[in-house]
Amino acid sequence: MKRKFYCLVLAVLFTVLSACGNSAIQSTTKKEEGSSKKDGTIKIGALLPKSGVYASLGKNLERGMALYFESIGWKVAGKDIKLIVEDTEADPQVGLRKARKLIDQDQVDLLTGTVSTAVAYAIRDEVDKRKMPFLVSHAGGNDLTRSKRSDYIWRSSFSSWQIGYSLGQWAYDHIGKTVYIAAADYAFGREVSAAFKEAYTAAGGKVIGEVYPPLGTNDYSSYLTTIKNADADAVYAFFAGSDAVKFVQQYEQFGLKKEKKLIGSGWLVSEDVRKQQGNAGVGTIASIFWDYHLDTKENKAFIDAFERKYNARPTIEALEGYDAARIIAEALEAVGGDASNPDKVVEAISNVQFVSPRGPIQFDKETHHIIQNMYIIETNLVNGQAENKVIEVIEKVKDPGQ
Amino acid sequence: MDIIAAQLVNGVSYGMLLFVITCGLSLVFGILGVLNLAHGSLYMIGAYVAYTLTTQRFENFWLALIIAPLIVAVLSLIIELILLRPTYHLGHLSQVLLTFGLAYVIHDVTSIIWGSDVLSIPLPPFLSETLHFFHQEFPAYRLFVIVAGVVLASCLWFVQEKTRWGAIIRAGLSDKEMISALGVNIKLVFTVVFLVGGYLAGLGGVIASPILGLYPSMEFQTLILALVVLVVGGLGSIAGTFVASLVVGIVETFGRFLVPELSLFLVFALMAVILISKPNGLLGKKVMKH
Amino acid sequence: MNKQLFMGVVAIILLIAVPFFFSLFYLNLLAEILILAIFALSLNVLVGYTGLVSLGHAAFFGIGAYASALLAKEWSPQFLLTLLASILAAAAAAAIIGLFCVKANGFYFLMLTLAFSQMIYSFVHQSTTITGGSNGLSGLPSPMLGPVDLSNPVFLYYSILFMFVIVYIVLGLIVKSPFGHVLIGIRENEMRMKAMGYNTALYKYIAFMIAGAIGGISGALYSSLNGFVSPNDVYWTMSGSVLIMVLIGGAGTMIGPVLGAAFIVVLETIVSSYTTVWTMIIGIIFILFVVFMPQGLVGFARMFQKLAIHRLLVSQKGAKSLVNNEANQ
Repeated sequence: MKRKFYCLVLAVLFTVLSACGNSAIQSTTKKEEGSSKKDGTIKIGALLPKSGVYASLGKNLERGMALYFESIGWKVAGKDIKLIVEDTEADPQVGLRKARKLIDQDQVDLLTGTVSTAVAYAIRDEVDKRKMPFLVSHAGGNDLTRSKRSDYIWRSSFSSWQIGYSLGQWAYDHIGKTVYIAAADYAFGREVSAAFKEAYTAAGGKVIGEVYPPLGTNDYSSYLTTIKNADADAVYAFFAGSDAVKFVQQYEQFGLKKEKKLIGSGWLVSEDVRKQQGNAGVGTIASIFWDYHLDTKENKAFIDAFERKYNARPTIEALEGYDAARIIAEALEAVGGDASNPDKVVEAISNVQFVSPRGPIQFDKETHHIIQNMYIIETNLVNGQAENKVIEVIEKVKDPGQ
Repeated sequence: MDIIAAQLVNGVSYGMLLFVITCGLSLVFGILGVLNLAHGSLYMIGAYVAYTLTTQRFENFWLALIIAPLIVAVLSLIIELILLRPTYHLGHLSQVLLTFGLAYVIHDVTSIIWGSDVLSIPLPPFLSETLHFFHQEFPAYRLFVIVAGVVLASCLWFVQEKTRWGAIIRAGLSDKEMISALGVNIKLVFTVVFLVGGYLAGLGGVIASPILGLYPSMEFQTLILALVVLVVGGLGSIAGTFVASLVVGIVETFGRFLVPELSLFLVFALMAVILISKPNGLLGKKVMKH
Repeated sequence: MNKQLFMGVVAIILLIAVPFFFSLFYLNLLAEILILAIFALSLNVLVGYTGLVSLGHAAFFGIGAYASALLAKEWSPQFLLTLLASILAAAAAAAIIGLFCVKANGFYFLMLTLAFSQMIYSFVHQSTTITGGSNGLSGLPSPMLGPVDLSNPVFLYYSILFMFVIVYIVLGLIVKSPFGHVLIGIRENEMRMKAMGYNTALYKYIAFMIAGAIGGISGALYSSLNGFVSPNDVYWTMSGSVLIMVLIGGAGTMIGPVLGAAFIVVLETIVSSYTTVWTMIIGIIFILFVVFMPQGLVGFARMFQKLAIHRLLVSQKGAKSLVNNEANQ
């Protein structure tokens, strides 16, 4: 008697569940029709690291996005915007899991983020297969807009190539004819320094040595002693975060600063590390697509708004988030708030162009990558603090796409 | 020739850095038999507290050097009384797992208090000087670390060899039941040792973090370093830890200098080689299973 | 025995029915759980049955994953082929690493396994040309089973389920066999086993290789499920994670690691969507388990069972005495 009762309950349960229309069998066998998002809310999924080593970058990206959406009242084309942020922990597996959650469970209209290139690569196939518009707002791995290009992936941040290549010619012309390269040993460090090497040697310079300390090296003394005894005019370095703090500090401590000019990517002297370096970073030259000290009215307005809301200086990642939010908003405005057709959304994204705090930006329709200015900045001592100054502008830098 | 001498100095200073970080872990493991996986976390707390003291409260490195380890010691006392004392009967492995869980908890608590940004501790100008010898330049702080390491090692050795507490500890290492039978309050010994271990971890935090930096997940990186040194040196021996620190420091430094591609690989290969050829470490004594 | 078999069949039927009722997200989550369950089961052979706590098991997971990924990318994405390659690669690695590790005991075994897995990690992380370095290998071709394309998540899920059932049955047979009993004997008291004439080093070595090979299987399935592999899969945090799964689930049992894997994955997925302090929550749960439930979830279930039966008996006794009282009125 009891057993029959249980069987009946189970049967009813199963029938009810299967009617719930969203089962895996159903979604993989029937064609993907337009998503049934009838309520007037547009959902944007953001995949960002909220814990782990990259947590502060994720936090700043989110802050930048929130700042922009707030400035337009969290509304676009009459519809409300909802931002759903999921923690990737900078782990590709978790990133994929969260991406699936955002796409399948939360039914987002657009995806944005990631900080880690590994996470971006990991979700690339899923995003492409599910036709989910994905606006990459940080991850700079070259292949994302080259061999791994997708109709639905557009990048508004930067590529490792843009960062490294832009300093090459300038370094040969203004710094010296020989350079020693030191870069953190991970894909980002390797890609940026390779691009620099490409440009620098093409201009006529000579790279007399290269060293790649493991990511997270705490003691560069050994590498620095080797570099000191090498005969180079300058040192091109790629480090970020706490590595940048340690490298720049130790660069000065071991006496290299007065002998060899330190040049590198903007992350060597960015807003989040300069203060920690004390004055060790003074004299560094770097290439980057945005700096706090960029003197334009758009940048001043952005900085003003950011500092008022968060009581802290915006970092590169904050700007990336701000721009990404604006691009998304303008694209959604162009499709009248109707995000049901991903191809139309993506086309709208490709047409977005405006003057951002980093200068004029637009998309390259072939590579799906952003076309932006690159700036050469120099770090000086201003009122006892290390501050950057833009000393050269390289306009409209395009990524070659292969 | 100069370069070799310079790299040697680098190696010794890095080695002393490792010693300062590891000695607390070594002491606790040797006496309590518990591998304190929250050691890195205590180190981290010492570093963060020193950061707050030097940037926000006193702006004085020396004061931070005195106060921060004490705060960590008090914290260790609380941990020992609440978490470890009631659970000794569960066995060593369980207590190791407890410290692991604790490390996870401390991870989030510190990130709530101090945030996830990269920080660094400002040094007093006297220690920020650059010194010249062997035609190379060294930050004065590196030499301070060497001095600190040697002083610390000497103090620990002195206590171990020449004082009554040291005798108890040495005896406890060999035979816990015996010294308990001789009337020594073993519970008190454990608490004191854990407290001292915490103090040393905090001290390590203040001394090492101006070089190693403060950033999220720093405690796990430091823990791995300390584990490597601990294993290489062997258990139950401060002398072993000292020697191992120097060996690891010099090998790593010269490794980075001679074969930079193998840097990450090298330190673990060293650990594996030592474990295979001398399972008790360089100077380890076999610790009795309890 | 019969009851266990019945429960097993019911479980399999339920698992087969999942794609008909649950969305893709849950399906993929379950597939992940099954793979990590295989991983945990393989570690359980070492930790639960032989008593060797390893902190380097991610090495075999990673080797299996990378072997499968590289083969799929460079040669052929045939599922069975990549699976075979991973088993061979992982077993070979286990054979080499095991040679060094089985001589060590306790804490030293722990550190030695950690050392080897970190060496493999550093090799993988730095060889950008072969393994993709820190970016990992992504965009892997979807696995094929003969002419059938397994890119359909439902087919992939069934393949993984099939492998899981096979591994579970095989491991179950191994631990119940005389070989398995020797392993348990070694865990309880190695000296005594040696005195009885068993070559304990050889048994430990074989256990290590079995654990490694099956770990490799889970790695291969992982890379097939995700279509990518990254150095994170070889990092010590992966080894720590699977150790937690085994311990929380219940070491030394068959169902324990499976429960542990499910518990941890679900916890991580759900908790991290609501709060950034999920690390702390996992830490607290872990501490509570170690102190109050050292037998893990399995122990908890058994205790619950005992309590339920006890209550039942008490209430029956009470009912009986009541009836007697009534009768005596």
